[in-house]
Amino acid sequence: MSVRLFGAAVFAIAALYTLHSQTYQITFGDVLGPSVFPLIVGIPMMILSASLVIFPTGQVEWPGRDRLWRQAVALAAFVGYTLVMEELGFPIATAALIAIVGIVMGGAPWRAIALGAVFGPGLWALFDKVLGLPLDFLGTLFG
Amino acid sequence: MEVLSLIGNGFLVALTPLNIGLLLMGCFVGTLLGALPGLGPVNGVAVLIPLTFAFGFDPTSSLILLCAVYFGCMYGGRISSILLNIPGDEPAIMTTLDGYPMAVQGQAANALAISGVASFVGATIAVIGLSLFAPVLARAAIHFGPADYFALYILAFATIGGIAGVDPRKTLLSALIGLMLATVGIDPISGVPRYTMDNFHLYDGIQPIVALVGLFAISEILLLLEKTAKERPKAIKVDRWLPQWSAIWPTRWAMLRGSGVGFVAGVLPGAGASLGSFMAYVFEKQKSNAKGTFGKGDPRGVAAPEAGNNAAAGGALIPMLSLGVPGSGTTAVLLAMLISLNVQPGPLLFERQPDLVWGLVASLYLANIALLILNLPMIGIFTRLMMTPTWALMPVVAAITFVGVYGISNSIFDLELMVFFGVIGYIMRKLDISLVPLVLGLLLGGDMERALRRAMSISAGDWGILIASPISITLYVLTAGFLALSVWLAVRDHKQSKAERLTEG
Repeated sequence: MSVRLFGAAVFAIAALYTLHSQTYQITFGDVLGPSVFPLIVGIPMMILSASLVIFPTGQVEWPGRDRLWRQAVALAAFVGYTLVMEELGFPIATAALIAIVGIVMGGAPWRAIALGAVFGPGLWALFDKVLGLPLDFLGTLFG
Repeated sequence: MEVLSLIGNGFLVALTPLNIGLLLMGCFVGTLLGALPGLGPVNGVAVLIPLTFAFGFDPTSSLILLCAVYFGCMYGGRISSILLNIPGDEPAIMTTLDGYPMAVQGQAANALAISGVASFVGATIAVIGLSLFAPVLARAAIHFGPADYFALYILAFATIGGIAGVDPRKTLLSALIGLMLATVGIDPISGVPRYTMDNFHLYDGIQPIVALVGLFAISEILLLLEKTAKERPKAIKVDRWLPQWSAIWPTRWAMLRGSGVGFVAGVLPGAGASLGSFMAYVFEKQKSNAKGTFGKGDPRGVAAPEAGNNAAAGGALIPMLSLGVPGSGTTAVLLAMLISLNVQPGPLLFERQPDLVWGLVASLYLANIALLILNLPMIGIFTRLMMTPTWALMPVVAAITFVGVYGISNSIFDLELMVFFGVIGYIMRKLDISLVPLVLGLLLGGDMERALRRAMSISAGDWGILIASPISITLYVLTAGFLALSVWLAVRDHKQSKAERLTEG
């Protein structure tokens, strides 16, 4: 079922992609133009993805609920990190990221928090001070 | 003789204090990454690429560091195969077959020593091959016209991953998704923005580095989160660290044969180290398994695949450097890094940047020696570091990945794109769709389209130009051969699994 769903999603994207390619106009001196290559890519994509919908192969085992929530929390931590990194500053955001991912990976909470507390500022010091990559220490919220 | 003087100049580049330091660091970190179950060379190199950018080294030093990591990973993959029965990466799978039984029988030290020396022999033979053949191939490739390049890219897509036996449709679809992503951004010929959805972040296109770090590193973390419940088995204790020469010497022919087979597998675009170690093992088994000892702890069953996978890793650099077409997943990642550093691999690289090419080749000779020295007496340190728990290691890897990508562009959008690709990578890996063709499509798509459009401009719109030269015809025949082979393998696997299901039922 998963392969079929994937095939259907790719088919829809490929169809939109192919259709949209026709809006790009050929300019003077450009024999093929910007729309032909997307056509060459999009049409076989549609054929292959349709064939996966009709004749799917492979067995897919998705994780059970006990694992799925861990992945969801980790993903939320990743997205959250991108949203708050510039506001909170690098050390605090990174410490939180490491602690959360450490906990969902099965580490004892206090150990994961300690790991974050060490590596959050540690990585900031390494990148900002040693490697010269400017990273906000306090962020826009505190700075 | 010309090669010798070029390599001599290469050593002058490789022997600067900075490059030596990077080389040693890369060898150490690479061996460790390779030894950690789950983090193979592709992921290892992908995680470290953003760091390399953060360091701000020149392309030669960056490439030396990452190639040392690549070779180190290939060496390190065997440690967890032998001691834990968990291959660090795909090419190390064959090493578990005889390596782990040897360790169980109290031969762990010998198995590690044999595999270490075999890795050295395989990798060194591959680097010698690289020194000799890459310039020849590059010289031949200078005669390639745009239509021939187009044919070459098609060959690369047809071969990469295709022979591994997974559904060829999925592999091809993955490559097409990559090509589709490559068309995002401003069209370099007409200047029209394509598929940017009016988002100015996408005008520059999708950065291959951002995509591949997401695809490999972030998806790896999501995959690991499925497995945390499983307790890692205890590693088999290694009683002594100094190898016994009497155990290594009888495997010398297996090492040499494995190196030869692996090297050829590596040079073929797309085949890579997995096929190298597999073919080396199968070849050696057919040759030497008279007493049926393979799979039960035969030292030759450790020597051949280890020599094979390391020779393939070196061989895969040949098409990457001389044609700009990677021979394996890891070389695809290295290619992405080079392109991001404004270095265009291909035939002209050897003429325009001899310091980079020959500095790299010389550093690979040195890396092999460093890795042999690191891997024989220091194996105890790697074994202990290998036991670092996943919950402590992966969050730090994740943080380094984020800051590394942020460091390249200072763009939060790139971080979001990386997470997006992480999810895509996870789904594709679950569905057994190889990610390497996607990366390859994203990397080569722009050049492939340019080659096609240039060829069509030359012919004033006549499609016949694509099959007008003997080079392109040869390349299309090879492509057809590879496609036929991969379809045949897929049909055979399908029949085999069907037969197994019937006998089980």
